[in-house]
Amino acid sequence: MKRYLALILVLSTIYTDLFSAEAGMPQLDPKYWASQAFWLILVFSILYISIAKFYLPKIKKNLDDRENKIKEDLDEANNMKSLSEKKLGEYNIILENSKKEVSKILLESKNALNKNIQNKKDSMEKEIENEISKAQKEILQLKKSSIESINNISQEIASNIIEKISGDKLNESSIKAVVEDISKKNIGKYL
Amino acid sequence: MASNPMQQFSVHKIGPEIKIAGIDLSFTNASLFMVISAALIGIFLFLGTKEKKIIPDKIQLIAEMLYNFVAKMISDTAGSKAKPYFPFIFSLFMFVLLCNMVGMLPYSFTVTSHIIVTLIMALFIFIAVTIIGFFKHGFKYLSIFIPSGVPTVLLPLITIIEIISYLSRPVSLSVRLFANMMAGHTMLKVFGGFVISLGILGGWLPLSFSVALTGLEILVAFLQAYVFAILTCIYLNDALNLHH
Repeated sequence: MKRYLALILVLSTIYTDLFSAEAGMPQLDPKYWASQAFWLILVFSILYISIAKFYLPKIKKNLDDRENKIKEDLDEANNMKSLSEKKLGEYNIILENSKKEVSKILLESKNALNKNIQNKKDSMEKEIENEISKAQKEILQLKKSSIESINNISQEIASNIIEKISGDKLNESSIKAVVEDISKKNIGKYL
Repeated sequence: MASNPMQQFSVHKIGPEIKIAGIDLSFTNASLFMVISAALIGIFLFLGTKEKKIIPDKIQLIAEMLYNFVAKMISDTAGSKAKPYFPFIFSLFMFVLLCNMVGMLPYSFTVTSHIIVTLIMALFIFIAVTIIGFFKHGFKYLSIFIPSGVPTVLLPLITIIEIISYLSRPVSLSVRLFANMMAGHTMLKVFGGFVISLGILGGWLPLSFSVALTGLEILVAFLQAYVFAILTCIYLNDALNLHH
């Protein structure tokens, strides 16, 4: 601002009529001071009243409305977000539960299957064993009966041979006893 | 006439002479430009608040930006207690700004380049702030003249300086605005005169100066309105929040 004033001073010396009689500084002429003061107060008062009573409340209300709207929208968005998060949580829980169930079912069916197989295997084995023991018994019986028939045949042959050699008829029971005795001694070789 | 850079500040009567109790209250060109500035503010704010839209249009956006600008200025400098004075500060800022800006138009009149206008505004602010101060704090308000942490020896001197600085507030406030406006407009007029006197050959240099100065003056017009409003806020802050 000092530079301005210096410039003005310089220029004023060039323009010799700068401070001519009619000019000077019109601001310092008190002729219209009262008028300016009056009109300033009047105009500014009207401006102030219209701004304070009319315009500013409107602007303020609009700004508040906007702020509220933004806040409401944000709240709503937050609510939506929390809701969706909740839903997501529920969904995850359902998913987890069903997963658990699936694995449980899988385990159960596996166990059942294993048991079933085991049972079947067991019963099969038993049957096989039964068959084997039955067959063994049969074989044993066959052997026994064959020994008896061998004994009988040997008795007969023995009595016939004795009769033919000596012509005597030997006591049958004694022959039987001897045959049985021999067969008993030798039966271990065949059984 | 064109050669006198002070001619633009002269006040002359428009229309009939109005005299109340022997005082001349005629409608002058100064009054006319006060009315024009106030009317422009009124029209601007009317358009800015006509429709209440959630998404504002340009003029509404500017009005809301100005509102927020002044609101922030007040809350930053004077705190929340200054809220009741918001309409006054807003009106003051808008009025000074518009008077300054309207004055930038060629052939117009700059209301704020008159010491009487700025002095009345500054005096009103000064008296109002002093009344508010005494009203809020009673005689304790006088303690603003006694800064804390000053050695006792210096206290009388400091107090006198404080009182002088307090009393010179309206003068500094009014002269700052008035002198800035007057100097700027005088400069513009002088350079304008050079353009004419140097003619088509030599006139280009002052013309370019003139263009640059116009830009500067628009900045000054805004800046001085801002300074005027913010100083009012600071004075208000002193009266509302007594902390020394």
